[in-house]
Amino acid sequence: MAKFRLLPDEQLARSPVRQLWREFSRHHSAVAGLLLFIIFFLLALMSPLISPHDPYLQNDTLLLLPPSWSEQGLVQYPFGTDDLGRDLFSRLLVGARYTFGIAIITVLGALIMGLLLGTLAGMSKGVKSSIFNHVLDLALTIPSLLLAIIIVAILGPGLQNTTWAIMLALLPQFVHGIRNAIAEQLNQDYVVAYRLDGANNWQVFSRIIMPNIWERLTLMATMALSTATLDIAALGFLGLGAQAPSAEWGAIIGDSLDLIYIAPVSVAVPGLLIFMAVLSVNLVGDGLRNAAKKRREN
Amino acid sequence: MILYLLRRMFLLAFVFIALSIFAFSLGYLFPGEPLQNFTGLRHISAEQLPLLQQEYRMEQGYIAQYLAYLGRIFSGNWALSFSSQQPLLQEMQMLMPATLELASYALLISFFIGIPIGIIAAIKPEGTLSKLISAVAVAGYSIPVFWWALLLIMLFSLALGWLPTAGRIGVLYEINHVTGFMLPDILLSGTAHRQEAMLNALRHLLLPTIVLATFPTTVMIRFTRDAMLDVWEQSYIKTARAKGLNRGQVLYRHALRNALLPVIRQIGLQFSTLITLAMITEVIFSWPGIGRWLIDSIYQRNYPAIQAGLLVISTLVITVNMLTEILHTVFNPLARKR
Repeated sequence: MAKFRLLPDEQLARSPVRQLWREFSRHHSAVAGLLLFIIFFLLALMSPLISPHDPYLQNDTLLLLPPSWSEQGLVQYPFGTDDLGRDLFSRLLVGARYTFGIAIITVLGALIMGLLLGTLAGMSKGVKSSIFNHVLDLALTIPSLLLAIIIVAILGPGLQNTTWAIMLALLPQFVHGIRNAIAEQLNQDYVVAYRLDGANNWQVFSRIIMPNIWERLTLMATMALSTATLDIAALGFLGLGAQAPSAEWGAIIGDSLDLIYIAPVSVAVPGLLIFMAVLSVNLVGDGLRNAAKKRREN
Repeated sequence: MILYLLRRMFLLAFVFIALSIFAFSLGYLFPGEPLQNFTGLRHISAEQLPLLQQEYRMEQGYIAQYLAYLGRIFSGNWALSFSSQQPLLQEMQMLMPATLELASYALLISFFIGIPIGIIAAIKPEGTLSKLISAVAVAGYSIPVFWWALLLIMLFSLALGWLPTAGRIGVLYEINHVTGFMLPDILLSGTAHRQEAMLNALRHLLLPTIVLATFPTTVMIRFTRDAMLDVWEQSYIKTARAKGLNRGQVLYRHALRNALLPVIRQIGLQFSTLITLAMITEVIFSWPGIGRWLIDSIYQRNYPAIQAGLLVISTLVITVNMLTEILHTVFNPLARKR
């Protein structure tokens, strides 16, 4: 019993990221989600390199080819072709870039803008922040997809406008969350102590607030990523987002809606991919939330 | 409490003013002539032009125009729809109940299924049943609503042929528009085939309601579960257990009442999501509600309709949000202090 220990638990000596990963990797579902997420991410980066056919090449000798597991199918076209003779498999691979890749870009954009505005709001006090809050409350009550639909209605349909619309629609929740997180941090005693040491606003922000809120930022980003993916796909499906030739998953479903009797695969598989992508993001988010909670409890 | 209500009312008024300013400015933001966007008239003849310009105060500044716009909103003299050239307010009054009916059934399902399941999942958080429920819940709120709807249509309508795919009721039945809600309307109508009509309407209702209820139900399961687990660790639960109450009594008297408080607040948040999801569901099931109408308006570039639809839907969502928040405060004295 005479053994001297500096820390009650060896685990606590590790860096926060290590502790987080340790808790995270205990949940198989979270790790599976992370794996799926990485696959989708790589797919979004490299899909044009690995897709077997040109996703926009219309081959009029092979219209509506059934998937390869049926008797008329060809093994070169695993999911068959659509009504214009384009290879569905290649289109789905490239679609990861549109649906998932653009969702990531949207969330990153919203995160950066939200960080700027949220920091300004969180660090300021008085009437200014009160008015700001009320405007935010208004924007928060309107759901992101409705807001996106309205913005698309103003800007006109198209993938680029959808990106802007969803970015703007996600912004209020980021600003709100970041503002609250910063306000919470500013009330802590260690901030007061650091200020008494002579730290200015920037030092408080970069040395204390950022390290303490990044966990929440990541959580917010995963939640926003699942919303963004669903919204891009939904807008594409409604014909308001990505337009006809582009291989966005939601748009593929919308295009092949009239073929649902002949080629149910072209509706089922893109939807499954959207589902898997959102599921992976949600699993990672849940795992991260649990791990963060456990880490703080320790 | 009165002070709190006053503050809420003030906030509500502020939000409405902001919303109406936004809706008003859409008349300028949308492509095309602002006067056409405000009146909804496709072709304005040379004789009409000066009259309309005076009525809409287009010659004066933006503030006068905005006040004229507000006046028209409150007097019920809304613009015409570009596509049908009918007054928008009346058009929306016909469509609104269909959406509300669908959304409210879905919301009810999410309560009566989501909350009990959430409580069951919280009883043994590490048990198999709880894990299964959590897995289903994650799947439920990850699923894209339009794909889920299409899957169910493929299974139940195309493959099995059990349920209809579109509309609110079969074309054989003629139900007069009284309240706009289909089921009460059937009860009020004097047709001889009331029972068959009811069954038919329910068959039409089943798929859209299930599709629409999936997301809120799964969110509710998860939310209730988390709230229960949170409350279960509070010290007053330990006190109650120490007093000698059994599990059921603690659950009913202490845990449930505290865990369900945040759930009330969830209604408002769920409602806004529900309306958006209802828009997509309506498009797929050809449900004659306001969501499908709004999306059609976007296709048709029917700007007055988009403007009016935005105003009505946002007002509805914000009002419901505010009401649930007030309700939450009534039940929870702790929330009043802030």
